[in-house]
Amino acid sequence: MADATLAAAPLSNTREIARAIWAEKAKRARRAALLKHLFLIGCSLIMIYPLLWMVASSLKPNNQIFGDLSLWPSEFRWDNYTSGWNGMSVSFSTFFANSLFVTVLSVIGNVLSCSFAAYAFARLEFTGKNIWFALMMMTLMIPYHVVLIPQYLTFLNLGWVDTYLPLIVPQFLAGDAFFIFLMVQFFRQLPRELDEAAMIDGCSAFKIYWAIIMPLSIPAIATAAIFSFIWTWDDFLGPLVYLNDVKDYTVPLALRMFNSQDSVTQYGQMFAMSVLSILPIFVFFIIFQRLIIRGIAMSGLK
Amino acid sequence: MHKFIRRNIAGYAFLLPWLVGFLLLAIGPILASLYLSFTKYNVINPPRWIGLDNYVFMFTMDDRFRKALSVTFTFVAISVPAKLCFALAVAMVLDKGIRAIGLYRALFYLPSILGGSIAVAILWRQLFNYDGVINALLRTVGIEGPYWLADPNYSLWTLVVLAVWQFGSPMLIFLAGLRAIPQDLYEAAEIDAAGPVRTFFAITVPLLAPVIFFNLVLQMIEAFKSFSGAFIISGGTGAPLDSLLFYTVYLFNEAFSFLRMGYASALAWVLLIIIAAFTAIAFWTSKYWVHYESQRG
Amino acid sequence: MTTLNRRTFLAGTAGLALASATGGAFAQDKARVRHFWWGNPERDKRTFAVIDIFNGKHPEIAAEGETLGFADYFTKLTTQIAGRSMPDVIQQGYGVLFEYIANGAVVPLDDYVGKTLDISKMDQSAIAAGTVNGKFYALSIGANSHVAMYNRRLYEAAGIKVGENFDPFAWTYDDVARIGRAVKDATGIAGTDDNTADYQNFSDFVGQKGVQMFSPEGEYQVTQEIVEEYWATWKTIRDAGATPPAQETAGLAGVADLAQTGLVTGKSATSYAWSNQLVGTQALMQDPIGAAMYPNTPAMVPGSIIQPSQFVCLTRDSASPEAATTYMSAFVNDLDMTRVLGLERGIPSNADVRTALDPQLSDIERVSVEFFAGIQGRTAVLAPPPPAGANEIEQTFERLAVEVLIGGRSPTEVAADFLNQAKGILMRA
Repeated sequence: MADATLAAAPLSNTREIARAIWAEKAKRARRAALLKHLFLIGCSLIMIYPLLWMVASSLKPNNQIFGDLSLWPSEFRWDNYTSGWNGMSVSFSTFFANSLFVTVLSVIGNVLSCSFAAYAFARLEFTGKNIWFALMMMTLMIPYHVVLIPQYLTFLNLGWVDTYLPLIVPQFLAGDAFFIFLMVQFFRQLPRELDEAAMIDGCSAFKIYWAIIMPLSIPAIATAAIFSFIWTWDDFLGPLVYLNDVKDYTVPLALRMFNSQDSVTQYGQMFAMSVLSILPIFVFFIIFQRLIIRGIAMSGLK
Repeated sequence: MHKFIRRNIAGYAFLLPWLVGFLLLAIGPILASLYLSFTKYNVINPPRWIGLDNYVFMFTMDDRFRKALSVTFTFVAISVPAKLCFALAVAMVLDKGIRAIGLYRALFYLPSILGGSIAVAILWRQLFNYDGVINALLRTVGIEGPYWLADPNYSLWTLVVLAVWQFGSPMLIFLAGLRAIPQDLYEAAEIDAAGPVRTFFAITVPLLAPVIFFNLVLQMIEAFKSFSGAFIISGGTGAPLDSLLFYTVYLFNEAFSFLRMGYASALAWVLLIIIAAFTAIAFWTSKYWVHYESQRG
Repeated sequence: MTTLNRRTFLAGTAGLALASATGGAFAQDKARVRHFWWGNPERDKRTFAVIDIFNGKHPEIAAEGETLGFADYFTKLTTQIAGRSMPDVIQQGYGVLFEYIANGAVVPLDDYVGKTLDISKMDQSAIAAGTVNGKFYALSIGANSHVAMYNRRLYEAAGIKVGENFDPFAWTYDDVARIGRAVKDATGIAGTDDNTADYQNFSDFVGQKGVQMFSPEGEYQVTQEIVEEYWATWKTIRDAGATPPAQETAGLAGVADLAQTGLVTGKSATSYAWSNQLVGTQALMQDPIGAAMYPNTPAMVPGSIIQPSQFVCLTRDSASPEAATTYMSAFVNDLDMTRVLGLERGIPSNADVRTALDPQLSDIERVSVEFFAGIQGRTAVLAPPPPAGANEIEQTFERLAVEVLIGGRSPTEVAADFLNQAKGILMRA
């Protein structure tokens, strides 16, 4: 855009010079872009290697996964996918349905309840705010393995063990402080004048949250939704402790059931199902990352 | 009194879901673990009060506790800055208009999706074995690589590499933060003919500070609590020679392998206090380098 | 989607309702028996099938299965112990079992023996293994022993033949060095894993020296000389060029994954494991594997023991112990059920079951049955249950032995440190 201003200069002589500068700049820009792409492709290779390796392993027979380092299977065992899908006492269709159910509800709960709390911490004044904030941060710091048993006892007393409630209800009660803190940081970046103007117009606090803060924070919300989806989808400790019936298991729990200490581990099938288990995350990621772009467009236009 | 309610009602209304969850579900187990840290509790039988014994043992007798602390501190000190720098660098490259940005982002996020799964454990062994991929690459440039997994001097580095490699989440947050910086500021800088370095320190860093701060605090907390990588790669034990004995790996073994839940709770509270102290320092320094848009003017 | 919603939110009750839809009407007065095991897809399928057979034969009982992978099994069980919500019947391994017994998490079965629980066909040794202080606690569902698994193709390539220059049931550490070296020379692959940091082999070695690991009072009786001699023995084998480099071995210390053993990854021709891992190991390999005992000293004092790989136990949280023991009894005696289970959990401890299974064995299962026949009379007497802390001593050994491999302190110092720490662990337990 700076080039455009230069090129529009009135004198033709200047225009010549400007064109030369512009050509030089364009060349440099192209070289920079090329370098950038080379850098990114190099990084991508490192990043994608594990996936290639997993896909390769998912197509190998069980007795070739170890000891054979090549990425290209000598024979393609597509049946790892079909027999893996139906390999358990319960089909993976059930596990995927269960995982989707828990994950989608968790994402909704997380985004709603955490943005509520974040709005309170970032934009509102109330007594005891700093203490509550400190306590919220504390819930992030305690190693979760030691609260596992007391938490289990709590849910046992509520009669919630062997249901999805322990996995979903806390998400609607802003159980993960990570998201609160994340949104607090983004909400605090919005200019104060927005609220003040709206307040003068007679907007309620809820209206400000819903009509001003949330729309302007779409990149942050999308980021939170992506994390929330991935972490809930990947979580196995919660389902491990609270679900008893195999028919209720989620995908990560089922994946870990392939692994056997004292008998046949079907690694090929396990990798096949691991590859499939990444797909929903990937799809969700691709869809929601678009919202991160939309966020820029808006602040860019301002 | 009426005024007091009116001043607080909106804040507490929005805080309500969190408050309910915190008071009913979160604080109880946390306090329970504090209580258990003063007991001997093998999970099977009821806890027995032993006062400060767990803490006394920890600080006077327990060599592995000290080892776990030093491993964890080393890991935090190296992996957090490395990961953050890498994440920020990649985010800035991706932030500039570039083709197929969505694809790159997704690819860069891949390692983080794999997380601490069994697949990663197997993969890491195949990569870092003496005759694995890494050493093969090193050999092409004439370097004879070490036994990464066997040598206590190197094994922690494989975990650092794993942590940095999984830089997806801070990168994404940096990206969202960069997207919130008004583009016109950069255009103004370009008109002023400010170089990239000056632009970075004059515009990017100050405006990104809240997000940098967030990533710093959260990555630090996560690194102190880091568990699954070390756990799966060392077979759950912290081997070789405790060089991968991350604090939480030690804690998990005390709690679930040796059924010393009381002692594990004491370990947890010491870690909590350490993390809290570092976080408090971070918050205190943030006054000097993190400024929020909402506080300006 | 509606079914999903209903079932998911009411998983506990609706799950049962679904089960009853397939398996007849579910009535409140049925005694509910929850059976929890660690497994794998194959075992899970077999066990769920067995549960269906049982429920068909016992309309008054509703048995249900719950399962997880081994890595997660005890984490979950531990939370359930704390909540007093353990399933009625749980699967247990040899190590942890005794801590559960000592603390009362699993209860004696004596009151049910001869009534709901039939152990008349069980091997005496299996019953003895589940007995503590005169009370019978644990029902063996598969016998187990230490096994040296070797790659038959590589052994043949090196001219090693059973009956000529290799006796799988009576080879010595010198033989290990000789054969290992021969394999290395012939194939370029190390002949044997290095067991310096392997506590199983170490415990055999202690037995071979005529020493009981723990005294009846629970003291650790291993001496400085035995520890040093054990490490020196393996150093000799290593120095003979029969093993992978010491650092390679050190990198695997603490890793229990079958897929990472030298035999499977192709880095050595012999790996050491449990006999019920033969089938699983073979499944990961192309070359056929053979089974040998752990090596011995020339004195041939037995060191290996036969012990149950897995037990089923009755927990203190069981609300209907009669029904639960009825189920346990069928699990080890009912020929319709045991036929489905096969050798998947190890060699059954009931002679009738073994005979009934014989015609349906696979090659590798036959290897393990023949191995078991071969070791009869060559094993040591099962020691009394180890004291609390035995588990931790094992981990400590495997941790410190790495120092012997990669060379830090001298073996003498490491051995002294190990015995010192073992003492400390027992004092603290």
